[in-house]
Amino acid sequence: MPAPIRVLTAVPICDGHDSAINTINLEFIRHGIEVVYMGYHRYATDMVRAAIQEDVRALGISSYNGGHVEFFAEVASLLKKQGADYIKLFGGGGGTITTADEAVMRRKGVDKIFFAGTPLSEMVEYVHQHYGGARKRGGKAPTAEMKLARKLTEIEDAYARGKKKRPTAHKKIRNPKSEIRNSKVFGFTGPGGAGKTTLIDELVLRLLNREPKVRIAILSHDPSVVGAGALLGDRATMINSQDERVFMRSMATRGQAGGLSPATEDCLQLLAQSNFDFVIIETVGTGQEAMPFQTGLVDKTVLVMNPDYGSRLQLQKIVMLDLADIVVVNKSDQERARTAISEIERRLDQNKRSQTTVSTVANRHRDAGVDELCDLLMEEG
Amino acid sequence: MSKLGRVVEAVENYNQFVLDEVKRARSEKAFGKKLLDRWNEVKAKTPIGAAPTGLKLPRLALPEIDEPGEIARYLLGEGLPGEFPFTNGAYREMYLEPLREPEEGSYGKNGRHGKNGKNGAKPAPKAEQEEPTRLFSGFGLAEDTNERFHYLTGHQRSARLSTAFDGPTLYGIDSDAEGVFGKIGEGGLAIDTYEDMVRLYDGFDMGSPSFSASMTISGPAPIIMAMYIAAAKKRFGPSVIPKLRGTIQADIFKEVQAQNETIFPTEASLRFLCDMIEFTTRELPRWYPVSISGYHIGEAGATPVQQAAYTLSNGFAYAELLSKRGISVDQFGPRLSFFLDCGLDVEYIALARASRRIWAIGMRDAFGAGPKGQMFKLHTQTSGRSLVAAEFKNNLTRTAAELMLAYMNGTNSCHSNSADEPFTTPSEEWIRLAAHGQAILLDESGIFKHTMNMLTGSPGMKAVERAVEAAILEEFRQIEELGGVLAAIEHRYQRSQIQNAAHRYEQQIYDGTRPIIALNKYADAKEEMPEVEMVRTPRAKKQLQVDRLAKFKKKNAAKAQRALDKLSDVVERGENFFPTLIETVEVCSLGQITGRLQEIVGHFRPMV
Repeated sequence: MPAPIRVLTAVPICDGHDSAINTINLEFIRHGIEVVYMGYHRYATDMVRAAIQEDVRALGISSYNGGHVEFFAEVASLLKKQGADYIKLFGGGGGTITTADEAVMRRKGVDKIFFAGTPLSEMVEYVHQHYGGARKRGGKAPTAEMKLARKLTEIEDAYARGKKKRPTAHKKIRNPKSEIRNSKVFGFTGPGGAGKTTLIDELVLRLLNREPKVRIAILSHDPSVVGAGALLGDRATMINSQDERVFMRSMATRGQAGGLSPATEDCLQLLAQSNFDFVIIETVGTGQEAMPFQTGLVDKTVLVMNPDYGSRLQLQKIVMLDLADIVVVNKSDQERARTAISEIERRLDQNKRSQTTVSTVANRHRDAGVDELCDLLMEEG
Repeated sequence: MSKLGRVVEAVENYNQFVLDEVKRARSEKAFGKKLLDRWNEVKAKTPIGAAPTGLKLPRLALPEIDEPGEIARYLLGEGLPGEFPFTNGAYREMYLEPLREPEEGSYGKNGRHGKNGKNGAKPAPKAEQEEPTRLFSGFGLAEDTNERFHYLTGHQRSARLSTAFDGPTLYGIDSDAEGVFGKIGEGGLAIDTYEDMVRLYDGFDMGSPSFSASMTISGPAPIIMAMYIAAAKKRFGPSVIPKLRGTIQADIFKEVQAQNETIFPTEASLRFLCDMIEFTTRELPRWYPVSISGYHIGEAGATPVQQAAYTLSNGFAYAELLSKRGISVDQFGPRLSFFLDCGLDVEYIALARASRRIWAIGMRDAFGAGPKGQMFKLHTQTSGRSLVAAEFKNNLTRTAAELMLAYMNGTNSCHSNSADEPFTTPSEEWIRLAAHGQAILLDESGIFKHTMNMLTGSPGMKAVERAVEAAILEEFRQIEELGGVLAAIEHRYQRSQIQNAAHRYEQQIYDGTRPIIALNKYADAKEEMPEVEMVRTPRAKKQLQVDRLAKFKKKNAAKAQRALDKLSDVVERGENFFPTLIETVEVCSLGQITGRLQEIVGHFRPMV
């Protein structure tokens, strides 16, 4: 089976019109395309960095409030300047983009503009036809970031084509030599809606602020739709992680249960050896029985929970409560939080090992709980 | 139960009350007679006017009923125009031309002459009502929009200016910020400093009763509002402040749900908004500090019912927030106003009618508001999303049909879209036709100018109204089940519902179940992209805006830091920041203020 096409879509800076792109994203996904969606009000530099890191085939921009000629030209020139114009640029803006504009935009390096009234099926077909075949990269020497991004693609593609089989669940990955493996790896998991993505992004903000030279990698996961593509939307909410010191990669689970992708372990191993100070891996929202981090690569596992997990009995069934190093009760401003924390602490007491609980309100600016979590993770050991 | 749950109960109870009163009117003789007397009195006191042809017509049309139960159903169930529950209109008279050949006095107890005027006395000749027409404009720099404003209001009795801002302004960013140069003055005008605001309304008497400004901006609304006040103060002195009239959109909920122009986290945005409302309801008693908007929810793809349901529930959520802050419902209630979309779906025949009724009952029975706080004051805009690029001149017909629906629904003011909107900020040619469309409907045709209730109350309209009301209440129950409006937002409830509806709409266009003429039905395969005059801001103008901002920043460099520090202190202390903000804007730009506030409260984290 060929590997799914990956594209990145976004809406330009100072533009919040996301209705068209949402519809197009859904249509792409239904037709097997994996969409890394960055959301609206996004800078050209952020889009280009993301496109390179995600190593997508094409970058699609939906612009509805003017200035598109300048914006597309800026993106095209940034791609070219970095030697990344093997990533094709396409887009649309309903009737706001005229044929005259399109001519200018094409000259500046835009591959394709879809005009008003273009059927969704035509866009899907175009992406399959033009961004699906064998890939030609430009002649310029790739940067280290590009090389890393390409290696990740190779790993993912090898699994997709069935050339590599998923490592069996309990096989331990050989721990690379410590001088090579210089990153601390944190694994974040927990049920959907607990606020993992927001929490990680707030953590990244703190790491960036505390250490001016820090380099962080994020491996984030979103579920694939059965028999179709995937919407990889974490970049849209992770606003602080769109930074030149952060390398982020969004992966679809591609049919694997348990919150990760078949290629995750290999990708994680590669990242752990790639000179990052911290590597953060986030699973998709998981169920009670999930225990996603079975490799020796994750140094600290963090289980993020919502205070409204139901009754105390439910806690007994959550396997990760036995395995996690740190249990975060996020949204701890909710009414039920105090009860939740004491119930969870009692549950952890049964384990008789050193586990820490932290309560956070990740969506509160400058939350002290997130500061505490950051301190804990940065501690040696 | 949140207040929204109480609103649902209130409407259900009120509907039952009407049914009970209908029965009572039929069984209790005295009550029946009282109703009949009122009914006959209203009819007798209704002035009779005349059409230019000489045809005599009552100023208020009423159903032909004479049975007490039916009279109770009408008077209590929908009410006369201007009476609870306001289904037929927020005011007693709207759009009507001055009375020709007046014969009798007014009707009803709420009438202009009701209390003091003698029955049957000739009404004093009254001034012509102001036009409900509003044309939204904004492009280029402040002086370009100023010129357009003068062009638009040249023939109008009153200057009611409706202002659109460009992308950087809507996101609280300065024109000199990274990567925004191309966006300056596109889709709206650029405002960086209060000096731009001075230029924007130049030549207009900002304190005059015949002037009002409406500003369509939400994320940085308090900063823009402070600039408006500072500009007015600079031109007319501090005494102008209480006289200022107008509206600022400032609707954070719909931004988070649909339009995405939010710059601070929701909680912080709401705090800043409440600060502003607290200030304006006290110091600018004629100002509408929030326009609770369904328009953008509709444009983002919501069904009409979703649009009305989310708008109304957002309104009730604001009322709850303001009440919690200790502002009395009689202070803020009358200063809330609404903004809805009007498209071509059948629901629009009665959407505003149903909305007025639910708002009135909810505000009276769940919030204890007096009559002025029960009125759903509505601005309508025809649907931009219904306009298509293919054979775009058809958009004139679409807009005309939507205008008809909007006025049938008793909107208090209305903007009609220009046919060229799928392509560009409207050019003068098409904006003129859009304005004339309203004038043809209101001034030239006899449809709306002689008689209130001319087109209300048909069996079909009533059927839609009942179905829409039931569907809105059902949406309320869903939101209530999630814990109220704020909790539902956290769950992405409104966003995902809107996105699903948008996707369904597109699917229907592509599979043909939703015919769009010249697009998927009767389409001309040969049609090429039309030549439309594009309104774009030239490079030199964009540069001028950047240069002006640089000059402003240089001039105020010494003072800006101190002003920002002072603002920070007030925000950190948790005090109302708005009075300080009015001083800050005199020496700081929009982007400087936004940046400083974001340092304190953080950035908005977008929802997908």
